[in-house]
Amino acid sequence: MQILIVEDEIPLMESMVSYLKMEGFKCEEATTYHEGLCSLDKHDYICMLIDLNLPDGDGLNLVKIAKQNQNNSGIIIISARNALEERVRGLELGADDYLVKPFHLSELVARVHSVARRTRSQGEEILTFGMIRVMPEERTCFVEDKQVDLTRKEHDLLLYLMSNRNRVITKESIADYLWGEYGGGYGSYDFVYTHLKNLRRKLVDAGSPDYIKNMYGVGYKFSLE
Amino acid sequence: MKLLTKTTLYIATLSMFLFFIMGIIFFQVLKNMSLSELNRELTRIQKVVDDVFPHFLGGQLSGLPGLDSISIQPASPGRVLKDQFGDTLMFDTRTHQFRTFRYLHFLADHGGNSYTVKLYKSTTPADKLVEQVTLLMTVMVILFLAGIFFLNRFIFANLWKDFFDTLDKLKQFDIVKEPLELGEPDVEEFMELKKVLERMTMRLSSDYKELQEYTDHTTHELQTPLAVIKTKTELLMQSSNLGPEEMQLIQSINSSANHLSRLNTTLALITRIESQQFTGRNKINLVHLLDDQLEKFQELIALREISVVRTYSDRKQTITMDQGLADIMITNLLKNAIVHNMDGGKILLEIKNGSFGISNEGAPLSFGEQELFKRFARDKKKTGNFGLGLSIVKKICDNYGFKISYNYKNQLHTFTILLPDNSSSF
Repeated sequence: MQILIVEDEIPLMESMVSYLKMEGFKCEEATTYHEGLCSLDKHDYICMLIDLNLPDGDGLNLVKIAKQNQNNSGIIIISARNALEERVRGLELGADDYLVKPFHLSELVARVHSVARRTRSQGEEILTFGMIRVMPEERTCFVEDKQVDLTRKEHDLLLYLMSNRNRVITKESIADYLWGEYGGGYGSYDFVYTHLKNLRRKLVDAGSPDYIKNMYGVGYKFSLE
Repeated sequence: MKLLTKTTLYIATLSMFLFFIMGIIFFQVLKNMSLSELNRELTRIQKVVDDVFPHFLGGQLSGLPGLDSISIQPASPGRVLKDQFGDTLMFDTRTHQFRTFRYLHFLADHGGNSYTVKLYKSTTPADKLVEQVTLLMTVMVILFLAGIFFLNRFIFANLWKDFFDTLDKLKQFDIVKEPLELGEPDVEEFMELKKVLERMTMRLSSDYKELQEYTDHTTHELQTPLAVIKTKTELLMQSSNLGPEEMQLIQSINSSANHLSRLNTTLALITRIESQQFTGRNKINLVHLLDDQLEKFQELIALREISVVRTYSDRKQTITMDQGLADIMITNLLKNAIVHNMDGGKILLEIKNGSFGISNEGAPLSFGEQELFKRFARDKKKTGNFGLGLSIVKKICDNYGFKISYNYKNQLHTFTILLPDNSSSF
């Protein structure tokens, strides 16, 4: 469960490492292009997080080299610039995802999980949480043996909650995750609430305990307790 | 009023007035001159008449060359008469017309008797001359005026050519594009004008560019500290020994950082649209564009039980613009139509040849219509909304020369975008 992080902003790096460690990932840290280059072959990473704007080199180049060296690890580009061309170029070079700064850590984790699933899983993977089983590829969800019909957004939301189990997640992060940066945001928090309500109702109706806890109006927590 | 018209009008008015006054004076002087000439002639004839007076009395003479008519009558004795000039109307037997005559009235003595003598001379030839000269003068004045008129036009076209060139270039000046380049005028004042203008626009362009760069850098540089605040508060939120109050404090910091970063991203987007950093020119089918973006909002629309009515009368209508901007434009319009709709409301989408429209049901605006496309225009009661979405749409439309208009009728807010001809159907 090794992750390589190439990021020149130390405080940001620290945050990412702390959060990912809580999720059980091990992190290899690199703060420059050069360090990143040296660390590329150190481990068999499940995912690499690469900042494009490095003091001593172009992150895109690192993406290219990383893709040649370790074809089976996922790459997520992190950039403060949200230029469409850069995004397209990054994805063309073999990156799996593109995250724009500033992002939510919960969103980062969800994306890491998703990328890791896509690059590592052989055959159908089943995620379980308490009584809930989800098959991300098929977009199906079961509570014990009972299939639950979820809409696309509800399914995404469930996966997001499962990726961030036992963490406090804010409604802003959910909105951003579900609708992206121009689609989400303002006005969509009400919709987050509605989606959550519907998801909760469907799961409880199928016989699952209510795992979605409301945290003092601050956010939500998906936990067994 | 145009410069040329105004100059011509000034010249015409002034010269008409001057020529009118001059004409009157000229006419009077000419008239007086001809009169004194007649008087002189009559005085000369008077001397001749004095010399040959007996012949007149005797009847041997009845006229003299240069004289039209003469009358001699005995005067009452003791009467004193000074020589006297005057004008009179008399019937001319030759032309059978009344004509003006100049006369000289005087006393002549012969053989102890006094006679009053009147000498008449027709003024017609002199009047004719005055008339002809005046006519000639008038024609000359008209010709002169016409000459001035054309000369003025000619001078104008040549002299002010550089000025009008400069004006044309100024009209086309666009701060985002090339700096202003004017020709080399040979008139000193225009040369100065050119220098001043070039200096000004240069300054304007460089200021603008600097501002753009500044905004670009600031928004970019702001994202990193914002990212740190966001992630640190998110981490803090995960610690288990926090009470509800602390959690809410952290959440409000996190939420504000989110707000700030969204605002920043959006303003950066506007700056990038303004500085025309989106250069893609894709021919996009409007029906596909609209349906693709609609798909993303399908669940939201279903959640609020909004019904979407699509009237696509021209399914081939295309729009030529950057794909990314097209997505943003449609996304913002759709989002606006959903957020400001009512539960169970309607959205109408219409694509026609050369235009498309999007309408949604909803309460009337709580602010002025003219504020709608301005930055930060929003319903102050609704929170979590910047009021930047429509200003982005407007910016994008301006960028491509689309005309966007808004109206509110029968509880329907409608936005209509008119597309220019070059992106019509194929």
